[in-house]
Amino acid sequence: MAGVTHDYAFKHRRKLMAAGWISKELAVILVPVITLISGCIIGYFAQRTGFCAIGGFRDYIMFRHTRLLNGFIAMLVSAFVAVLIFHLLTPLAFENFPWAIIKGLLSPIPGAPPDLSSLAYIILALIGGIGMGIIGVYVGGCPLRQFVMTAEGNLKSLWFVMGMVVGSVIFYLVTVGFVTGLFKAAGV
Amino acid sequence: MNNLKNLLNGQKGPIILGIIIGFLAAIVQGFTISAGGPEAYGFCALCHTRDLVNGLLNISLGTGLGLATVSKAAILPVMTMVGVLIGGFVAAKRSREFRIKHALLKDILVYFIGGVLLMQFGLLFGACPYRAALRLGYGDFIALFGIIGIIVGVWLALLMIMRSNTGGN
Repeated sequence: MAGVTHDYAFKHRRKLMAAGWISKELAVILVPVITLISGCIIGYFAQRTGFCAIGGFRDYIMFRHTRLLNGFIAMLVSAFVAVLIFHLLTPLAFENFPWAIIKGLLSPIPGAPPDLSSLAYIILALIGGIGMGIIGVYVGGCPLRQFVMTAEGNLKSLWFVMGMVVGSVIFYLVTVGFVTGLFKAAGV
Repeated sequence: MNNLKNLLNGQKGPIILGIIIGFLAAIVQGFTISAGGPEAYGFCALCHTRDLVNGLLNISLGTGLGLATVSKAAILPVMTMVGVLIGGFVAAKRSREFRIKHALLKDILVYFIGGVLLMQFGLLFGACPYRAALRLGYGDFIALFGIIGIIVGVWLALLMIMRSNTGGN
């Protein structure tokens, strides 16, 4: 009987065990700690370097300065290299890489409002991107830069962060239902 | 130590941080996937703020505001943005760059409304510029449309600013 149980567990390992590097029981405790540490590292270096994605595009379009843009490109390339390496070392934790091949070219990684069509996700990506780009230029930086400037004592950025806090709640009370309804009504 | 300071201030500084974020995000993903994902969620200035706010409200007030699976499953939501504030503050203090800069009433309104609106646009797309890069790196080509959108948005804003500066006729 023990052998049967073992075989069953082995065959259904992927269903019984959470994917990823550690068990789910451990992960639910460690995730806040690990994200806090990674945030501290990113925040420290972001303050020292002035890292900013929207600032990178702005400086390049206005002055052809590439310093910040190079940072964003380096992040994009290293994100790909890193998941490629970890996918080869621990396939179970990165089983949906590369996403476009496994899940389809026009299916997004979850994050945007669920259950919409591919066309709707492309429209949302374009509109969302344009909105972020315009606002980011007017307030002088992307969300990460605003957090770092808040940490530097800039009270304007603190109000921006406050806006983001209130915006998080407003999104789920108002925006997500409104926009999803709009797409459903338009049949997109 | 001085060498590191010059390196980070110099031309190569952002490249170094870009590489750090790319690898750090993949490492964090190894852990967040265990608690429920989603993918390419190692770092996001928008989504992690949303998770933190909505997660803490859900825990303290019993509300059911939306957030990522990992933050719903974990004992506390992702703490990345708290870390960014701590890390940024330590760096600013150490380099004597911490200075309170006051805001006028007009600034408060513009920045607060800007923050609210940016959150709506970002969450509709499901990523900030950084998670857009992580998603594209993971092979999600919808994210490419988001990055194109951001570049178009920056270009439009610069066009509007230059027009209003030159008289705007």
